[in-house]
Amino acid sequence: MNKEFLKALLKRIISSLITLFLLISFLFILIRLSPGDPAQKYLSAEFSPELMKKVTSDFNLDKPVFNQYIIFVVNIFRGDLGISYNYRLPVLTVVLQFLSFTFVFAFLSFIIQMVVSFYLALKSIRNPGGLFDKIVSKFSLVAYATPAFVLGLFLIYIFSVQLDLFPSSGSKALEFDSFSFAGKIGDYFWHLTLPLITLSSAGIAMFYKYLRDNLEDTYQQNFILNLRASGYDEKIILKKHVLPNAIRPLLSVAGIELGILLGGALITEIIFGLPGMGRLMMDSVFSRDYPLVIGCALAAGLLMIISNFIADLIKMKIDKRMIKGLMN
Amino acid sequence: MKFKPRIWYLIILSWLVIIIFRAELLLNLILLWIKYSYLLMSEFGNAIHILDFNLFDALLSIKLFLIIPVLLYAFRNRLSWLKNSINFSYTVIVLLMISFIFALIITDENPDFQKDLKATKLLSPFSTVMILHLNKGEKSQGTSIEEFINYKNNVLKPSYDESIVIANSIKIMSDYIIYTQKGIEKKITLSALWVNNGVADITSKTYILGTDEFGRDIFARIIYGTRISLLVGISAVMVSLIIGLFLGFIAGFKGGVIDIIFSRLTDLFLAFPIIYLIVLILALFGNSITSVIIVLGLSGWMSLFKIVKSEVLSEKNKDYILTAGMLGLTKRKILTNEILPVIFIPLVVSIVFQFSNVILAESALSYLGLGTGSSYPSWGAMIESGQRYVTKAWWMISFPGLILIFTIFSANDFGKRLNRSINPGVSK
Repeated sequence: MNKEFLKALLKRIISSLITLFLLISFLFILIRLSPGDPAQKYLSAEFSPELMKKVTSDFNLDKPVFNQYIIFVVNIFRGDLGISYNYRLPVLTVVLQFLSFTFVFAFLSFIIQMVVSFYLALKSIRNPGGLFDKIVSKFSLVAYATPAFVLGLFLIYIFSVQLDLFPSSGSKALEFDSFSFAGKIGDYFWHLTLPLITLSSAGIAMFYKYLRDNLEDTYQQNFILNLRASGYDEKIILKKHVLPNAIRPLLSVAGIELGILLGGALITEIIFGLPGMGRLMMDSVFSRDYPLVIGCALAAGLLMIISNFIADLIKMKIDKRMIKGLMN
Repeated sequence: MKFKPRIWYLIILSWLVIIIFRAELLLNLILLWIKYSYLLMSEFGNAIHILDFNLFDALLSIKLFLIIPVLLYAFRNRLSWLKNSINFSYTVIVLLMISFIFALIITDENPDFQKDLKATKLLSPFSTVMILHLNKGEKSQGTSIEEFINYKNNVLKPSYDESIVIANSIKIMSDYIIYTQKGIEKKITLSALWVNNGVADITSKTYILGTDEFGRDIFARIIYGTRISLLVGISAVMVSLIIGLFLGFIAGFKGGVIDIIFSRLTDLFLAFPIIYLIVLILALFGNSITSVIIVLGLSGWMSLFKIVKSEVLSEKNKDYILTAGMLGLTKRKILTNEILPVIFIPLVVSIVFQFSNVILAESALSYLGLGTGSSYPSWGAMIESGQRYVTKAWWMISFPGLILIFTIFSANDFGKRLNRSINPGVSK
């Protein structure tokens, strides 16, 4: 068993590495295909031809494309992503600075999605077809169809403009530094309430739907009928037998959900003016800070690959049959 | 027997509503059509020369509009879906289609029309303005072409009209008129106005959904925005379909190394947070309507590829495909005649969901400022501009936002219904 597990793990790591490698190559192709000379984006040729020549050779643009590719890959693995035009800092430093916010933000949203959808699904499966079930099911369809930016703006209009309950932008108050520790955390959450609702609503709707349907399907299977006939307690049936069976398909959805989460985080950060990676990316797109744009895209892809890997690990831990599935 | 509304009732109903509210425009369009046909017969070269998109759109939509009842009657047995009973999502889809085709007839204003910003800026829904028509001077009776162009400009609203003044309210005095624009009073003599049968020509106009910060009619922009959303949606899905079919067919039939490469590529695309990829490509290559279509098409082929590949893999060793191959059918023939009919149904379901994804992505891109550009009205861009006026003008975000939610909801719902009607085994 252990040997098999290690083999599957190794295989999964290799496939992640291949994906990462393909991602880097894809980025390189995109950069090379994009119109315009990279050196000219940095400096005008009319300004000083000698300097231009120096920049061209510094950027390794005078070498063959294949050598450039090798240099590109090696630089990325050494953590050298270039220097941001705007921040005058290495791209890696800037990205790491902003990545932490997105990471915490997405993680909080993921937990909220899980907790709320579990609660709603369990409550509505208690009485399938009942009033609560019907209302939540209909509502989840609408929530799933609502784009993040529409929901975010509606929330801002209702809660910030009309009711003046929550701030409409930023991640901390102006006098943040003078707060006590508890005050700081409170302020942080106060600012993050609307963004978290915006980011989580579509995910809650999706997880709710999957979980509810899975629970319903599991409840209709014969072994549950058997357990019930044997006189087991409903709570034990739910905890020991229904939930483990219903959660499993959810995990594969969770991997895909992370991509939606990162994309949603990009838009949510822009609506609410939060200092995350999505906003960094859009800001650098509009200020033509190409090294930073590429750095952000790479970081997003990397985050995605890592989280997919972790999701697969958890799946393997929960379901031994998965190991065979991954092997093929 | 209980009354059940059907889809064709809805189409006829909206047809009648349009006729009632736009009778004058329709008559003018019919006249325009007759005049243009006359022009085509008398001066063919000139007539072709003045044919631009607006005129073409007008002529086509009036022709289509007139034959709708005939078409409905002629195809009543062929198109059985017309007899389906109505629900919310079908209603939205039908109304979207109607606004897609008849945008010019439904709206009474050009979506880019701007005039007298002071009076028209940020008007709330159902606010009314007065329009004073100025005297254009003596009409020049030129050639038939000039006359036709004059008439055309009268019927089809241009994006700028010098000969009108828009005012919030007017007061008519003995020989002059006092009109106000946002509290500022101005005076104009009656002789400067266009006089019709001894009475100054003053009309009023109601903005059903209000105006935006440039005084443009939000209703007109939403209706015209349907064109962009559906156009981008359909074209991007076509691009995805072609890529997915082509790669999936090759991967399924050839197998081996090609299959592995394509599957890895699919994983790569699936592993990437797609909006970052789209933003990256649009940032590097610039954004326009074509690049948005291509990029959205390129980012959505994975699910189609997977369906096609798995279906080809499961079908390719069945007897009828082998027989077709031995009979000497080319690979292309096998794809179109044998495999496509089998995978058609799962493909259609997948396409509908893909369509709703693309509409969502297009509006998100427009919201981010990387969409189809400012030359076309787009729902996402409208929401983006509404965000800056969120404290003053709730109508600027709520109407496009609601339309967007309805559209995506209906597309999802339609896909689900389709899936259920095709595979009754799938619960919900």
